[in-house]
Amino acid sequence: MDLSLSETQLMLRKTVEDFIARDANRDKLIELQQTPRGYSDEIWRAASELGWVGMMIPEQYGGGGSDFSTTAVVYEALGKGPVPGPMFSSGILAGQVILQAGSEEQKKQFLPSIASGDIVATLAMTEPDYQWGPAGVRLRPTESGDQYVLNGTKLFVYDGHVADWLIVAIRTGDGADDISLLMVDTKAAGVSARKLDGFTTSESEITFSNVKVPKANLLGKVNGVKAALDRALLYATPILCAYKVGGGQGVFEMAVQYSRDRVQFGRPIGRFQFVQNHIVQLVNHLDAARWTLNEALWKLDTGQDARVGVHLAKTLASEGYRKACDYSHEVHAGTGIMRSYGLTLYTRQSRSLYAALGDPRYHRKQIANLIETIE
Amino acid sequence: MDFKPTYTPEQEAFRKEVRSWLEAHVPNVEGDRDSDENYAKYRQLGRDLGARGWLRPTVSKDYGGGGLNFEQSVILYEEMDQYGLGLPPYYDSGGWLGGASILVWGTEEQKQRFLPPIFKGEVVTWQLLTAPEAGSDLAGTKTDAIRDGDDYVINGTKIYVGGSHKPDMLWTFTRTDPTGPRHKNTSWFMIPTDTPGVTIVPMDLLGDGGEGIGASVKNTVYFEDARVSAKNLVGGVNNGWQVATTHLELEHGGGGSIGRNKWFERAVQWSKTEKRNGRPLIEDAEARDRLADIFVLTEVSRLFGLRNYWMNRTHQKMSYEGSQSSYYRKLTGLDITTNLQELFGPASLINGGGFDFSEGTLDAYHRSAITALHPGGTADVQKVLMARRMGLGRDEAEAAGKTVE
Ligand SMILES: Cc1cc2nc3c(=O)[nH]c(=O)nc-3n(C[C@H](O)[C@H](O)[C@H](O)COP(=O)(O)OP(=O)(O)OC[C@H]3O[C@@H](n4cnc5c(N)ncnc54)[C@H](O)[C@@H]3O)c2cc1C
Repeated sequence: MDLSLSETQLMLRKTVEDFIARDANRDKLIELQQTPRGYSDEIWRAASELGWVGMMIPEQYGGGGSDFSTTAVVYEALGKGPVPGPMFSSGILAGQVILQAGSEEQKKQFLPSIASGDIVATLAMTEPDYQWGPAGVRLRPTESGDQYVLNGTKLFVYDGHVADWLIVAIRTGDGADDISLLMVDTKAAGVSARKLDGFTTSESEITFSNVKVPKANLLGKVNGVKAALDRALLYATPILCAYKVGGGQGVFEMAVQYSRDRVQFGRPIGRFQFVQNHIVQLVNHLDAARWTLNEALWKLDTGQDARVGVHLAKTLASEGYRKACDYSHEVHAGTGIMRSYGLTLYTRQSRSLYAALGDPRYHRKQIANLIETIE
Repeated sequence: MDFKPTYTPEQEAFRKEVRSWLEAHVPNVEGDRDSDENYAKYRQLGRDLGARGWLRPTVSKDYGGGGLNFEQSVILYEEMDQYGLGLPPYYDSGGWLGGASILVWGTEEQKQRFLPPIFKGEVVTWQLLTAPEAGSDLAGTKTDAIRDGDDYVINGTKIYVGGSHKPDMLWTFTRTDPTGPRHKNTSWFMIPTDTPGVTIVPMDLLGDGGEGIGASVKNTVYFEDARVSAKNLVGGVNNGWQVATTHLELEHGGGGSIGRNKWFERAVQWSKTEKRNGRPLIEDAEARDRLADIFVLTEVSRLFGLRNYWMNRTHQKMSYEGSQSSYYRKLTGLDITTNLQELFGPASLINGGGFDFSEGTLDAYHRSAITALHPGGTADVQKVLMARRMGLGRDEAEAAGKTVE
């Protein structure tokens, strides 16, 4: 047993931290949040060139071939920024879906350019009747010869507005799991993407009107991708958790510092027990998410059944990031809600990513379904 | 990271040895594990473990421990856990708290005199810290020990202490300079239980704090002109608070733990046999949701304990982690009982008389989850400690108590 990070992992973390200090520090991120795209070229270039986008893609497809724990260290550090951009959506999530579901040819076609950052891909699963999982996929294409024709909407698609390629989940049969995955070029006629404004990060609406897609763009078989998709989600979800844990760490450190700096009634507010309670609850949520995640990563890296562990980690990462922000806001009071201060960069994410890849209720339900597998 | 100790072939052989030894030595008992008769059997198990150095595996052989390494100690804890037992397999504040303090603060002579009997399981001790006037505010104790020749004469009262079977030694800290400055006016003593002037009176409480075999009762202890040799003062005159920081740190959870509490497993088992409308509860979606909730709570507690165990045994710098795991365990204990009551309904409160599917286990847990909020520092006091360790509102974070020499 050794619960410490390896030398390599510590080094990688330092690289991300150095990058953040230079090109994605709080002042820059505060400016970026007002821009339509939400991230900068510097960020995307660094993330691509330093290998963070493609780190979980195998080396034979141009990626870094990192294990889960090491990838998580980098994404935690990115989350602590919090560095925005489609690194996770494209490099991790879309990368894993293509890796698990795609043919050899498709892997060769897409993975190297995803890893290099030349293209951005993302998964388009959910629809206006939001429901995570295959059962929520209702977009049913019509067929015409060797083409599918898409008409409809995918909603809450992370980074859809900056994507070159969409992995669109379509309904191709009546059984709950009868779905298929289709690679759709966003430049194809009839595809439009729009970023959704509000308390969001990069959610977008994608509309398809008479979009013709060759059947050759199917990833895997018709109605035969459920297992591959499950695997891809099992592998990608903990990396998203790591990003959230990093965010929780960010708001924790801000709260501790503020408890020392802010003086009221003649003493630092951190001496008030109610303020202490906020930070205690914050760190408990944070550590619950962190340590369940760490164990899940270790299970994945050592080839054990990690399903329950990943559902557990995702439950607590979603709940924990949200709560961490709530408590940090209580500590910061008025200061925290000024958009120029920086706390809201995280808060926005804690809401926006709460239901990404399934909300806590969904993941608790999965644990309930898997009770018999728990040792 | 690696969450499982990797075992060498020698260590695997050690596990086999432990397993077969335990098979031969763990007593088969019926009924209340804490009855006089059964307790005596567990005490014997403790002595047998102690004779092999397995009671305090990582303590040096010089002081009666096993001189074993981290992985071997994990093996011992894991194998004991299979029987629902810890190390020691009964309530004893000596080995993991008082003994640790003597190890850090005692003179060589005191270590030789006190430690081997404790670490070999020959002597069981109680900790006497809480006083009617001094609960959370331990340093505010008004129990006094006044020097008289080669002895100290102790007067005062301690409450909520000890367990259900008379121990061999007591340890406490008392004022040795009643008018001296706070935190610099107390000393720490080892006291034989049969010292004249020491009286133990059991208390009637809601439930035990889930501290295991031998801890089903708490007591009030009266000192009336009890004489203790000055040789039993550990850590120097008026240095008692420093000595206490060692066992307090450990009691606040800094020592960590291995294994999950058994409430999830038990609840799953009962859900298979308990029926509602003719169907086992485990087939009910709502019931499964409650089981999942219990699982989530117990997993986090397990991981906090495991993290702390690793940090403590590998001498990582600790901050708020001990109190965090203690606080989390206390509070989620209440949440777990709520879930259990929702899962099994009013029958979960019944003890005896026909509707008692858990044979009183759940009644006891409903009570002990409440009782367990207080020992070793209340839930709120754990938060106070965490705040200090994180340095909230302070320029510098407070350092953790010293738990190794
Ligand atoms: C099952 C059980 C086993 C025990 N075993 C032992 C034992 O073996 N040996 C032993 O010595 N003692 C033992 N105790 C006693 C235990 O340590 C005390 O009950 C505990 O420290 C609290 O003291 P108190 O009950 O006097 O409460 P008080 O200290 O009077 O606390 C009352 C309330 O005030 C709060 N409070 C107090 N100070 C502060 C503060 N600074 N900031 C915020 N809130 C505060 C507390 O959190 C609590 O909510 C045991 C208790 C139980 C229930």
